[in-house]
Amino acid sequence: MKARHLSLIMRKEFRGLFNERTILLAVLLQLFIAMFSSFLMVGLTSMYDPSSLSKYSRFRYSVGYCGNDSGLRDYLDKSPDFKVYGMELSPAVAALKERKLAAVIYVPDTAPDADDPVKITLYSLQNDLQSAIVNVKLKDIFLKYEKDLRGVRVARLNEQPIPLQIPAARGGGDFYEFVYGLLIPLLLFMPAIIASALVIDLITEEYQHETLETLISTPVTFAEVVWGKVLACELLIPLQAGAWLLLLMINGIAIDNVPLILVQVTLTSFLPILLGALTALHYRERTSAQFIFSTALVVVILFVLALPANPLNILTRLAVGTAGIEQWIVLAGVIAIGAVLSVATRKYAEKIGREHHTG
Amino acid sequence: MGFKINHVSIVYRTGTPGQSMGALTDITTIARWEVKRTLTQMSRDTLPFAIVLFILLVLVTGFAAQSGMHLQDGMYVVGVDDPALAALLASDNRFSVYQVDSATLENNRQEFDLIVINGQVFAGTTDRGKSALKTVERDYAKYTNRVYNRQDDLYAAYPLWIDVENVRSELNFLATQGGQYISARPDSVAPVPEGEIRNVPVPSPTLAISKEELRIELTKSETANSQISRYTEMLSSDTAMGRFKTPSQLSPPLPFDSIILIFVFIFPLYFTSQFFMMSIMNERIERKGEVLLSTPVKASSIIIGKALPYLLGMLAISAALTVYLKASLLIMLPLVPVIFFFLANALLIGMVSRSFKELSFISIFFSTVATSYLFFPSIFANVHVISLISPLTLIILTLQGTAYTLTDYLFSTSLFWLTSAVLLYVAVRNFNEERLFSEKGLLVRVREFVATSLSRKHPFVSLFLLNGFAIPFVFMVQLMCLVLFFNLPMPYSLVLLIIFAAGIEELTKSIGIYTLYAQDPSFLSWKNLIFACAATAVGFLAGEKLLLLITLSQITESVFGSILFLSLGVLWLPLLLHFAGTFVVACSLKFGGRKWFVPGLFAATVIHCLYNLYFIMGWLT
Repeated sequence: MKARHLSLIMRKEFRGLFNERTILLAVLLQLFIAMFSSFLMVGLTSMYDPSSLSKYSRFRYSVGYCGNDSGLRDYLDKSPDFKVYGMELSPAVAALKERKLAAVIYVPDTAPDADDPVKITLYSLQNDLQSAIVNVKLKDIFLKYEKDLRGVRVARLNEQPIPLQIPAARGGGDFYEFVYGLLIPLLLFMPAIIASALVIDLITEEYQHETLETLISTPVTFAEVVWGKVLACELLIPLQAGAWLLLLMINGIAIDNVPLILVQVTLTSFLPILLGALTALHYRERTSAQFIFSTALVVVILFVLALPANPLNILTRLAVGTAGIEQWIVLAGVIAIGAVLSVATRKYAEKIGREHHTG
Repeated sequence: MGFKINHVSIVYRTGTPGQSMGALTDITTIARWEVKRTLTQMSRDTLPFAIVLFILLVLVTGFAAQSGMHLQDGMYVVGVDDPALAALLASDNRFSVYQVDSATLENNRQEFDLIVINGQVFAGTTDRGKSALKTVERDYAKYTNRVYNRQDDLYAAYPLWIDVENVRSELNFLATQGGQYISARPDSVAPVPEGEIRNVPVPSPTLAISKEELRIELTKSETANSQISRYTEMLSSDTAMGRFKTPSQLSPPLPFDSIILIFVFIFPLYFTSQFFMMSIMNERIERKGEVLLSTPVKASSIIIGKALPYLLGMLAISAALTVYLKASLLIMLPLVPVIFFFLANALLIGMVSRSFKELSFISIFFSTVATSYLFFPSIFANVHVISLISPLTLIILTLQGTAYTLTDYLFSTSLFWLTSAVLLYVAVRNFNEERLFSEKGLLVRVREFVATSLSRKHPFVSLFLLNGFAIPFVFMVQLMCLVLFFNLPMPYSLVLLIIFAAGIEELTKSIGIYTLYAQDPSFLSWKNLIFACAATAVGFLAGEKLLLLITLSQITESVFGSILFLSLGVLWLPLLLHFAGTFVVACSLKFGGRKWFVPGLFAATVIHCLYNLYFIMGWLT
């Protein structure tokens, strides 16, 4: 295998990619996903934890209080978020429908120490962003009242949980796990999926366009053709993964151990690329190869994710900065599997190459 | 070029009485041919391999369900002095737990994200520390719930229940989007409703469900502790108890299960459309499809025949899934336009791409964009009406048992129906040798596709129609922008939306004229230029009004809508605007050539933005 031939093939593939401007599409795709994931973040935060939007937290909401007096009323009165009006139920609900109130609460006259639970009815506006905010704020007050009621009835409990005092959250950290434990590993692994689909395309293309014979009639061997393509795809990995990391950091997400992450991603991504190459060599036809490969990839990814300390988990730990010695063990495992697959790919390609020359 | 017709293996029109019958025979023949060829073309061991992989998939899914997903293991480092609490925390893989005495913990606080001393939690101030604190909070709440669920006296453990009664507002809820608060500012006296006061029955003080039923439901939500529910539970809790909730369950429900179910529906559609794409592409490789094209079979028959097996396959898969999930077959209603949309796009992608890699990239790009358009809005299914722009929201609503109206259906599916129809038309017009076997670049090919759809004899009528039919696409892209910008803070979202909406509209309007110019630069004489701009403006406006009339009244009433679809009231002003924008682009083409196309477009966008800003500002102040 000559390095000159390999780089020749690699340059040919890169030229193809640039000529077709497919690279441009890949970059666009990357930007688009980045945009959408940030949209998702902001969207989820504002829709489901709207109090995080400071704009809404300054506001006092009018609440109609109906039925009997209770400890809940005191909490509502003391809360800086609400302005409470004692009202009759029917006019209160009518006012709610006209948006003159943000919510209406009805409290029955169940004693705090009664056998039955206290059942509060909360009237709120359907399908409304603001009622979501109000409900989140009311939830805190209901929780306080629930704690009080539980205190009154504590003698009736036959088992107490181990006590643990948790300080009130100071905000922030809501989507930390979503970003570091899901978004980052998945985004970093995406280039590998694209590159392995690409290597299948590159190999089957030669077969289906019947350009292989021409290529092999040059001094370049078949094995060199295959490896040139594999390496071209592999080269895309650190570029794309690096771009992701850069995008994330521009978005204000701090990432630890960037060089180590790149090493892990680049080496781990080598495995699916080699798998793709093997599938393509076996089928020599795109539809079957892509179909089998993508199904196999789902199986492999699911399996890998079910293993403790899998490479994706290592990426998470590296990004948050809690990775220990296990990262090197995993890396060694990845390299070992990669070596086995490399040998297999090489043997297979050489065998096919011989068939071409004799046949 | 000489191609041989005698190889044709299809039987063509054997004594059929009429034209339509002939087309029908063609279609079924081609459909049967397509199925046969797909099956034979798949190399010998694809099917057995696929079966093996499927069995493996089932096994691995079982394994994964048992062992759990280990994506977030060891994210946090915590130190605990109490063995019982250490065991409690260690049951969550996300924690690396160290049990050490309190003095050591205190001396090495920096080493940990969170420490527990004497039953008191101290968290670090970093994001990781805050997140660890939230996780502990959630874990502990789950633990206390487990303890409480075992209590004999359930009502001592859960003394407070909330019955959420949803009230439909009679006012326009889109008011909130305009940046105003729905309820008036608090007054010193209680608000008095202006309208009629309907009598609201006093709610019963007791729960309508028995204690043991509640216990079963509570325990059920306790065991639903998968990896995915970690994300859901920070947003909501399972609320299988119907309307009765404990305070900790009181959050807007995220329809997460339904969203995952939808993925089950959409995934096979992706796969099948990939096969269709590939089948079209295969016709083009090495001019294999030449034989088929040389027969007297019409292009539309070929396309319908080739698409039919995939369409039927997709419908069958969706129906089978629906029946398997015991869901209502009404789910199919919003799915059908989505299926057509996928097929139409797959067809065009297969026709446009020059190589496999281009096919892969375009199809990945398409699936990502389509997924975003379909999925992300549906996450907000229970929260906001914006979610209705995706047909998948209707599926979620069906799964939840919420009814939707015919207007909702039209609103969320009409764009899919219309764009699919237009794309199919373009594909049929371009399904010929010249287009299929050309080796030109992507943009040139797209331009050629548009050019074929324009009539040479009646360029102005064509421009009118082109712009009219481009409207669904414009709306789709604009709605996508609306979703994207929806959550940005108010002034930014407005400004971005104004710029994007204007840019998209100007780009769309210029496509027709640019194509005509690229084909024949001498076309743009002054007279033709004026007429072309007028035809474009009128076509665009007519399409806009028509579509608005049918569907989009819901969105148009918001401030955002007023930017996108500003021109509802007076007609001549928007007509003038559309004309002016197109005129600017056409003139820059006429004088500067293609180099000046982009600057011209930019200028037109600026004009459009200024116009919109003037009206929005006038509207707002």
